[in-house]
Amino acid sequence: MSKEKKAKKRRGFSYKSLDFQGKRSVWGVIFLIPWLFGVIFFFLRPLVQTFWYSVCSMELTGGAFKGTFIGLDNFKWVLTVNADFTEMLAEAFIGMLKEVPIQIFLSLFIAILLNGEYKGRGFFRAVFVIPIILATGIATFSLAETSLNAQTSDSVVNMDWLVSLVTNSGIPTSVTTMLTSYISNIFTVVTTCGVQVLLFLTGLQSISPTLYEVAKIEGCSAFETFCKVTLPMVSPTILVCLVYSIAESFASATVTYNSRTITLSSYIHDQTFTGAAQYYGYGAAMSVVYFVITLVTIGIVCGIVNKGVFYYD
Amino acid sequence: MTNALTKVFKKSDAPARKKMSRKERKQKAQEVAGISFWVDLRKGRLSRYAIQKKIRGFITLLFRYLILGCLSFIILSSLWSLVKDAITDPNVLSDKSSVWVPSQISSIFLEMAWSKNLMNYLPSLLYTLGTTLVLTILQILSAGLAAYTFARLKFRGSGLLFGLVIFTIIVPSDCIMLAQYGTFRNFDLFGIIAAVRGSGINLIGNPAALYLLAASGMGIKSGIYIYFLRQSIKGLPIAIEEAAFVDGAGFLRTFFSIVVPSMSGSILTVGVLSFLWNYTDTYYVSLLNPTTSNLAYNYSTLQSNIRWGIDAAAKTNSEWLNMIDASNPYIQNSTISACAVLVVAPLIIMYCFVQKRFVQGAARSGLGGD
Repeated sequence: MSKEKKAKKRRGFSYKSLDFQGKRSVWGVIFLIPWLFGVIFFFLRPLVQTFWYSVCSMELTGGAFKGTFIGLDNFKWVLTVNADFTEMLAEAFIGMLKEVPIQIFLSLFIAILLNGEYKGRGFFRAVFVIPIILATGIATFSLAETSLNAQTSDSVVNMDWLVSLVTNSGIPTSVTTMLTSYISNIFTVVTTCGVQVLLFLTGLQSISPTLYEVAKIEGCSAFETFCKVTLPMVSPTILVCLVYSIAESFASATVTYNSRTITLSSYIHDQTFTGAAQYYGYGAAMSVVYFVITLVTIGIVCGIVNKGVFYYD
Repeated sequence: MTNALTKVFKKSDAPARKKMSRKERKQKAQEVAGISFWVDLRKGRLSRYAIQKKIRGFITLLFRYLILGCLSFIILSSLWSLVKDAITDPNVLSDKSSVWVPSQISSIFLEMAWSKNLMNYLPSLLYTLGTTLVLTILQILSAGLAAYTFARLKFRGSGLLFGLVIFTIIVPSDCIMLAQYGTFRNFDLFGIIAAVRGSGINLIGNPAALYLLAASGMGIKSGIYIYFLRQSIKGLPIAIEEAAFVDGAGFLRTFFSIVVPSMSGSILTVGVLSFLWNYTDTYYVSLLNPTTSNLAYNYSTLQSNIRWGIDAAAKTNSEWLNMIDASNPYIQNSTISACAVLVVAPLIIMYCFVQKRFVQGAARSGLGGD
């Protein structure tokens, strides 16, 4: 073998003979190994399995799941026999439609108020992270035996006068019922805004001050500055927040089941692990339906909103 | 202009003027020139524009404080109502005349929640803090490495993989719950473990299952951390990293001694969020490692059978046995509140320490530069 050939062969295999771009790619893959491992074993494989389980009749033998193909029977059961699930899905979906727009508006509004120079902003910024803790549901509870709930948390803030003010204002009732539901649920709405406020705050901070300077010199009013500078510059963040809000809203959607308020995910969890083997298949089918609806909703919303998003570079 | 100004200020400032140094005089002149737009010099009062501006600024400030104050009140009052229920004396529980501060304070509910039969607080707290810390560190590490790849070490197909990251954020974790349970119930890597031991390892009930998820970037909301860190790495000036490469630093070294220190703010943000979510998580814990040593999980299971918990706890202490009636809903409510306070307290205390840096860090880790 001649020397040149040897060199050529070495270049094909050894790390040292790679150029910088090549090394960069190699290290990129190395850095990604933990994540790749996770995404294959703990995400893609379970996802495919879930789809497979949903068309199977399941059995648990010796600690391992075994499925035999039965077609779309599980879906039939979930969507036609089980009366609760479709109702809950609809409830979760409508809840999401009501919740998400107000979340986005409110969190952008709070973020704009929090941003800027004023006394005590450290305090306020600290307070507005507490909702992230509260949103995990750790500090909210409902007692099974009593109806004491009304005495705790939200009724501390008595909003009745405001609600009656809105209802008596002469605006059509369909509008007022929506408004009043927001007012009386202000506590829940605020607690679900924690992460979005944080995202918007970082988005606002990253806007270059020079843009505001230009707007000022050109004689823009505060409102014009907001419309022409702030809104386009935070629009990518709005998209991110929308995706997060919709996903989160579905994941923590509360539904009424046997006159108790539970989350949709805990319902699926309970149904799956009722003990009877066939419920594994039903649970998987529910998950697939739930997943497809989430994905389609996010896809549609992002497709629409993405057209209005302004990317700076 | 300068002549006119000196004329106006000559009379009043004349004695003081001589004492001023040259620098001070220059500064004063600059100040005067700067505010001449705002001050009507002939009449010696604020101009109309300045007054308008001042009033507008005042109203904006008032508006801002009013709204922020009200919203903070809503947030803080819910926390306070928990604390209030937890520290009320059992005898005055049904007394509705005290809204904000209980008429009689006692620590009996907190003590009960602390005791072995309810929360078993100290051992559980240590266990929970330990596991949460491990989870947080693993999550940050895996997310940081992945984020660096997606931001800087791009290779063919990495864009597609980043799409997969977004996908992991969108897919609700409940959807793959059953299959994930199956994966850990019978854990195996390409059939290697099965070949050696005969069957896969059962990792259910073992914190290793949670650690594995966190270390491989599939823990709670890992996708968001990857997105967040990628954005902040993209915001860093690439020149420093290039300088490090030119000086002979490897990729690992560049990452750990250049990139990590310069984005410490965003790492802190992600760390706090990760700690918070791991600490309060009951979903993965109940699925993969259901142990009552975990505070949040223990708390969530206590809610449904608080009555028996109170009964069992009261029996251990004669004083409690006299005062506590487990079937009383007020007592149940206060006991759960006390448990919730004990669970949330470490988070709040920890947050107070990192608060200042956290908010700054969050503000600095810009999402821009997409």
